[in-house]
Amino acid sequence: MKLLTCPMNGSRPLSEFIFGGEYRDAPDQKTCSDSEWAAYVHNRSGAPGDKKEWWYHSPSGTWFIAERNTLSDKVSRTYLLSANTNSTQEQAK
Amino acid sequence: MQALTPNNAVKLDAKISPAAPAQSGASVQWAVVNDMQIATAFASAEVEQARKKVLGVTDVSCFPRYGFKGPQAAQWAADHELAIPSSPNSWTLSDQKSLVLRLGGSEFVLEDQMGGVACEKLSSISARVAGVYKVPRADAAFILSGSAVLNLFAELCSLDLRPSALLANDVIMTQVAGISAIVIRQTHNGEPVYRIWCDGTYGAYMWETLIEIAVELGGGAVGLASYQH
Repeated sequence: MKLLTCPMNGSRPLSEFIFGGEYRDAPDQKTCSDSEWAAYVHNRSGAPGDKKEWWYHSPSGTWFIAERNTLSDKVSRTYLLSANTNSTQEQAK
Repeated sequence: MQALTPNNAVKLDAKISPAAPAQSGASVQWAVVNDMQIATAFASAEVEQARKKVLGVTDVSCFPRYGFKGPQAAQWAADHELAIPSSPNSWTLSDQKSLVLRLGGSEFVLEDQMGGVACEKLSSISARVAGVYKVPRADAAFILSGSAVLNLFAELCSLDLRPSALLANDVIMTQVAGISAIVIRQTHNGEPVYRIWCDGTYGAYMWETLIEIAVELGGGAVGLASYQH
């Protein structure tokens, strides 16, 4: 049984989760060019590697981010998006 | 608690338990409790007591329920003298007769046990408060009792629900028999029991599944009457 760690509910079987697609930073739609916006809407990177992904724990209705290597299928960490906003900014500094 | 309708009669203006479609049978006794038609007995009291000791499954969907959520929900509960759990995924008893489940930081479900009046009290409040939203509940709810109850969960749920892993006041949101459900461990009249809530539309399926396993393990259906005294 594969397990995934929900940041709110702990380690649970993968069957309780639903994949929600890759998490990508959207360009600022007020300032970006049409081609940048079109690339954001239509293009996806299919190359294997470390990805940020949306996952959903369906029994509790929790959306969260999982950082997963799509080649090895190893999840390095999971967190709520709001909880991570500060830490991402801190890393950027 | 009222028991108004005669056996096997259908009272058309009352709600019907979401598990009722799976509970038909000549020996089933029905009553209307809290405006919901519910099975109060499936067999003689002696047979049901024996089932309860091994693995009894009881439909308690008729217990009144009240859900509320929002950024001000915890404060609103405190304003109305409702005891709430301090952390998410835990439960507590308010006034000894109302179960308060905290599903998240700002979402609560209240369920009156026998004699509880908290849901009625909160339902009667018509004033709307900013940051507090009522969540209508249509759950199917069950009590599982007996010595073999963990054997049943071993067949239906991936999680370890032994008392060492499922602490006394934990609320677990997981999948039971493949559908989303809330599970807690509770003491009812001094007897340890497990509680399950799931969406009402799965009520009949959940009942059938629980009963099928309960019967295999030597237990079976137990009517609400055995918890009314």
